[in-house]
Amino acid sequence: MSRKTRDVLSVEWVKLELIRTAYATRGGLFAKMDPRMVISWYLILAVVPWLTHDLVTIIALFGLTAVSAALARVGPLVLGLFLIGFVTDFAYAFGAAWVFGGDHETALALVEITLKLATVSLASIAAFVSLDPEELSTGLLAWKAPELLAFGVSYGYRMMPILFEEFGTVFTGLRLRSPQGPRGFLGLRALWRWGTWAVQAFYPIFLNTAKSVRTTVESLETRGFTAAQGRNLRIAQLRIGALDVAVVAATLVAVVGAFELGALVTIA
Amino acid sequence: MSAIIEIDRLSFRYPGAERDSLRNVCLTIEEGDFVAVIGGNGSGKTTLCKTLNGLVPHYWEGDFAGEVRVDGVDTYESSVASLSSTVGYVYQDFQNQLVRPRVRDEVEFGPTNFGMADYAERAQQAMEMLGIAHLADRFVWQLSGGQAHLTALASVLAMRPRIIVVDEPVAEVDPAGAHALYERLTELNQVHGITVIVIEHHAEFIAQYAKSVVLMDDGAPVWHLPAPQAAARAAELASHGIPAPQIVAACEGLDLAAAPRTVDEAAAVLRTAGARQRDSWAADAAAGSASQPTVAGTNPASTEGDTHRPVAVASAVSHGYRSVAGDLLPVLSGVDLTIRAGDRVALVGGNGAGKSTLMRLLCGLQVPRGGSVTLDGIDTKKSSATKLAEHAAYLFQRPEQMFLKDSIRADVRLFPAGRGRDEADALVDRVLDRVRLSDFADRDGRTLSGGQQRRATLAIGLAMTPSLLLADEPTASLDVASRDSVIAMLDELSGAIAAAVVATHDMHLVAEWATRVIVLGGGGVLADVTPLELFSSDSLLEGAHVVPPQITALGRALGIEPAPLSVSQWREAVALADASEPVEVRA
Repeated sequence: MSRKTRDVLSVEWVKLELIRTAYATRGGLFAKMDPRMVISWYLILAVVPWLTHDLVTIIALFGLTAVSAALARVGPLVLGLFLIGFVTDFAYAFGAAWVFGGDHETALALVEITLKLATVSLASIAAFVSLDPEELSTGLLAWKAPELLAFGVSYGYRMMPILFEEFGTVFTGLRLRSPQGPRGFLGLRALWRWGTWAVQAFYPIFLNTAKSVRTTVESLETRGFTAAQGRNLRIAQLRIGALDVAVVAATLVAVVGAFELGALVTIA
Repeated sequence: MSAIIEIDRLSFRYPGAERDSLRNVCLTIEEGDFVAVIGGNGSGKTTLCKTLNGLVPHYWEGDFAGEVRVDGVDTYESSVASLSSTVGYVYQDFQNQLVRPRVRDEVEFGPTNFGMADYAERAQQAMEMLGIAHLADRFVWQLSGGQAHLTALASVLAMRPRIIVVDEPVAEVDPAGAHALYERLTELNQVHGITVIVIEHHAEFIAQYAKSVVLMDDGAPVWHLPAPQAAARAAELASHGIPAPQIVAACEGLDLAAAPRTVDEAAAVLRTAGARQRDSWAADAAAGSASQPTVAGTNPASTEGDTHRPVAVASAVSHGYRSVAGDLLPVLSGVDLTIRAGDRVALVGGNGAGKSTLMRLLCGLQVPRGGSVTLDGIDTKKSSATKLAEHAAYLFQRPEQMFLKDSIRADVRLFPAGRGRDEADALVDRVLDRVRLSDFADRDGRTLSGGQQRRATLAIGLAMTPSLLLADEPTASLDVASRDSVIAMLDELSGAIAAAVVATHDMHLVAEWATRVIVLGGGGVLADVTPLELFSSDSLLEGAHVVPPQITALGRALGIEPAPLSVSQWREAVALADASEPVEVRA
């Protein structure tokens, strides 16, 4: 047995991936856009798959969001999680159709809904990976969302790496100091222990965080957060440019094209 | 000058509390003053400062009596939001004060919330005043402690307040960073006329920077005096838990009634008074008769005949981390190091020099990318972190991260009981007794004071009966008395473990505890020396980003050879020329 420092699939890697995803540090097409337009773009693609039952149209829309995800430079962690979900969903669709005595039509219906869900998922991944929390919260403000919600989004993202780090530290402490034991059949007992520690880690984290949040809340008070006169200043930072219009227009054209294609070509 | 803060017969009791936190406080602070508020734990310092921006009574609604006027405004009639444009508040745990992802957002946050159209300009100006404009686009969690502190200060400065309150500025930053912060505060005070109020435990900072001092005790000010007069009341301060600065103690040791503010002032006073080295000192120091641990010889482990046994060996160790952008940031490269039984090692170096990384590698929590680490003869790559925990205990910087259970006893017991040690309960009792926490054994570690928390983590480490104990900043954010108790504790415990490694910025800890100092910098070991050698070399001090203890700096300024590391050594080393000394007798 030999340990080595791993750059992927380690706790540190997950933390970095979360930061990269949350703050759109990889850049990409949508990261340059106005948050309101990105959200609009997402809403278009979140709705249209539900307006058709034509498999060709759905496949075309899926292709469109897949290209978008590539342009948004989605990271390996999020993409990997998506693919796991996608593949198991497909397997489940066929498995369910087979077990419950359905024929190929049942399977096809299940594939259709899986593809629709995958399309919407990819669109949301592409959009939210590209929005950093500040833009997202400003975008929400511009659409008359309450200040508290907009701040919650931004603050939640800010706390995420801190909580993740804290969890890692506390979990390490539990792992090193707790009773060890046999790994068990297929490592199940070890897995059970790890699961137990993961849950136990929340006790210290809650208490440690509760203490630190008191300062945060007081500080928010002193810095005029509840005075909330900054809405217009923040919204004034937003600009809709040529790129925004072009991307949304191109998407609309592609969506219309997908429906046209569905009308022209038929399978099954 | 006119009064900017007028407090008249103020009393306050927190909701549900049994007694008043502030009792009949009358206090006036002039505009442009630089005030240090001092006093023991629970004396009401923080509560007093929170009345200034209206957090008391508007956020903390308790029993409030009396009157507080800030810039002529009655705080009871005003609100936290409107008072905040006059009073800026920087918290002790300032990291939790940062609520936005990037530095610029953070500094703009206040002015934006108050709808100030020139928020960007204000933020830029505040950052420039504190010299952190180049950090504007950094994420706040990428900042060092000192940088984060300046960011928190900039974020209140952007509101252009007339008063700034800083709660225990030295608590969570290294000494060089603390001095830098005080220099900035002094500049704000002198150039921009901002009234500065600091809550401070460290007499040396008070003496050097404050213009006046308020001593709080049991919820009321005892006195409010100009700094030189306050510093002269050393005995009274000591009785309130604020020991005199070492330079004042040095003068006192020679029966000189002087209260110098800086090392240079002290050196001038002492030169005039005719202080000089005792002839016996050099020989005494060489013979090791000083009350200082010299080399491993004093360690009980040496009697077992295994002195100099290598406990941990690092050979050609290189390590680094991935950044958010994906590049590999090298931290250590080609480090060779042997920690031997009996060593008390202090790891020093600037932020990011790799102190914590090296400690994590030495205890096997991580394995190096290049080279190897051997702990008690075991290659850390060939074993697991859980197995290596039997050989090395690593104490995290923040004690509460080590409190995993609901009582100190359960936390200390976790490891020995889980590993099936014989008589685990007896061991736990012994360890708790040793760190003098038996009376608190059933309390949650988080409810203890800072010093008790550190001692509790030491107990956790000791109960693991490791060969190697590693501690990350064990004296950070402690007041002077708690710090001394932790240093004394480390001193006593060295018999129970073969070797100890401490990463620290605290030069008192280095001077009074360590036998060996390893200076990290530029990815490697800059020097492997004794504390005295470190403090005698200006280039090493600079490379390590440390400031020697006042007493050592003073010794050097007066040409004492070797320079004393503690006040007790100073007493042995220095005498006044006209004192009846055996020197004349010898001739």
